Amino acid sequence: MTDRRKEANSPSDPSGAAPPRRAKLELLVRHDDDSFEIQAVPSSAAWVQMRPMRVDTEAFELAEVPSRVRGQSSYILKNLRTERFLALSADERFLWDQMDGSTSLQEMATAYVLKYGQFNFDIIPTLIRKLQQAQLLTLEPASRLRRVLARNRQQRLLRAAELTLFALERINISSQRVQSFFGGLYRWGGFMLFTPAAAVTCALLGIVGIVAGVRLWQSTEAILSDFGHHKLVAAIAINVLLLATVALHQLVHGVALVHYRRRVREFGFTFLHGIIPTFYVDVTDIFMAPRRARVVTAVSGTLVHLVLGGIWFFVAWQTQSGFVRAFAATCGIIQFKSFLLALWPFFFIEMDGYHVLVDALGVPTLKSDALAYVGSLLRGSPPQWSREAALYVGYVALSGLSVAGFLAFFVAVVIRWTT
Amino acid sequence: MASAAEIAEFLQTVRLFREVDRPALLALTARLRERRLRKGQVLFREGDQGEEMFLVRDGSILVSKAVTGKVEQVLARFGPGDFFGEMSLFDRSPRSATIQAESDAMLLTLDRQNLSDLIEMNPRAAAAFFHGLVQVFIERLRASGELVAEITRWGLEATGLDMESR
Repeated sequence: MTDRRKEANSPSDPSGAAPPRRAKLELLVRHDDDSFEIQAVPSSAAWVQMRPMRVDTEAFELAEVPSRVRGQSSYILKNLRTERFLALSADERFLWDQMDGSTSLQEMATAYVLKYGQFNFDIIPTLIRKLQQAQLLTLEPASRLRRVLARNRQQRLLRAAELTLFALERINISSQRVQSFFGGLYRWGGFMLFTPAAAVTCALLGIVGIVAGVRLWQSTEAILSDFGHHKLVAAIAINVLLLATVALHQLVHGVALVHYRRRVREFGFTFLHGIIPTFYVDVTDIFMAPRRARVVTAVSGTLVHLVLGGIWFFVAWQTQSGFVRAFAATCGIIQFKSFLLALWPFFFIEMDGYHVLVDALGVPTLKSDALAYVGSLLRGSPPQWSREAALYVGYVALSGLSVAGFLAFFVAVVIRWTT
Repeated sequence: MASAAEIAEFLQTVRLFREVDRPALLALTARLRERRLRKGQVLFREGDQGEEMFLVRDGSILVSKAVTGKVEQVLARFGPGDFFGEMSLFDRSPRSATIQAESDAMLLTLDRQNLSDLIEMNPRAAAAFFHGLVQVFIERLRASGELVAEITRWGLEATGLDMESR
């Protein structure tokens, strides 16, 4: 049999001469052409990718215990089902808030470093052990949709939907050997994106796009009628283009990492939540770079949408009429909308602009903290007012207004197009 | 193609044939067929039918079992002097794992008929063969137990489950 087991120290070795080796799985991953590669997966690698999920909000209660001596509160977490109590420090409370089923331990550790400026290597495993013992972590699916599907598995149709989502979620085409690819992109022209000339060009295209968009707004009905009988073809083409744009957006993020001499850990394609096809790039190495680098990396990808939107609007503006004008104008609208959604931090979604904001504020869990604070305000039991509380209220208010404004704009557009 | 003497010399390094005398080994060499595998080539897949066992003369062979989709668990590696595929000689069940070459490899094949001939013509050699086979089975059974423990430990470490203080 394989000799790899001969290397293993017994986990119960009483001599204590060396710490037990981490268990390793050796997996054979087959490719489409029937070739294969062997991947050794240490248990530690799986552990850092684990996404712990706390039990439902109705299943626990969290109380703050202010301390006048230390100046920092501690917390009591109660499992309402088992009546078990658990004492949490402020650090542990911070990590508890992260355990939403979508944040990996690696991401939690990063958020911890950003918040506290240091890392205690024992805190996460110790906390997880405590929470597991108190039965405060669950393996239930994270999203509401998945929870509903899981609850109704006996219905054949919903079971099929759940299985489909599960299968789609598992589709992940990615590579971790992409540094040389991004290095090549950078050398073969990507470096030009980070020059003053590129910034000026980007700004000019943005201005041109806005001017063209405003001009075109006057004749929206006429433009959209130019789609004629090709609405379906146009919709498919626009969505495929949008997906390509998302890939470009992620590629620019990766090139930005190379510009700041950091490593691109992974690039790939997946189905977000099993529904939304998307590309992604692992930019976590940029956390080791100065703030300017982090901001530029976050914003650079977003600017792809501004540039493309500007170009599309300009094309539509310069075209007299017909399918091309309608197509270009619609693409312009979608690109500008993507730019706005990605850059504007107040939308309750964690995109590039949000990451820049929380980085600048030094509050990596702004959204969840703000929602928790406003929730307690609405329930009539708000914690003490502070500068942070003002920030939370401001974030929720601005985000609420933004979402309302976006919806109002959307409704206005629909009404304008349909009447 | 290796000579009968060379093959007999090789067979003496194989656990199954260590106690078989040389004349019997020389008689057996004529019944063995050579099979070459290129690196990455699959010899047979889990679920295939088979009625022959293989001795590894040269190279490295990888044994894997399907886990999910295109992912398989590596169960074992076999090198020169090792053998595999013997189960289907006895129970006529489909292959229990997939076999592929990790490097260019040279195998020797022994089928069910040749084994029957060996038993019939040279019962003493057959007894030595089966004695060696039982010894290897015991070793593999122990190794399987270790593999199960290793995988369980992997699961516990990967999920952070602390069973000791439960």
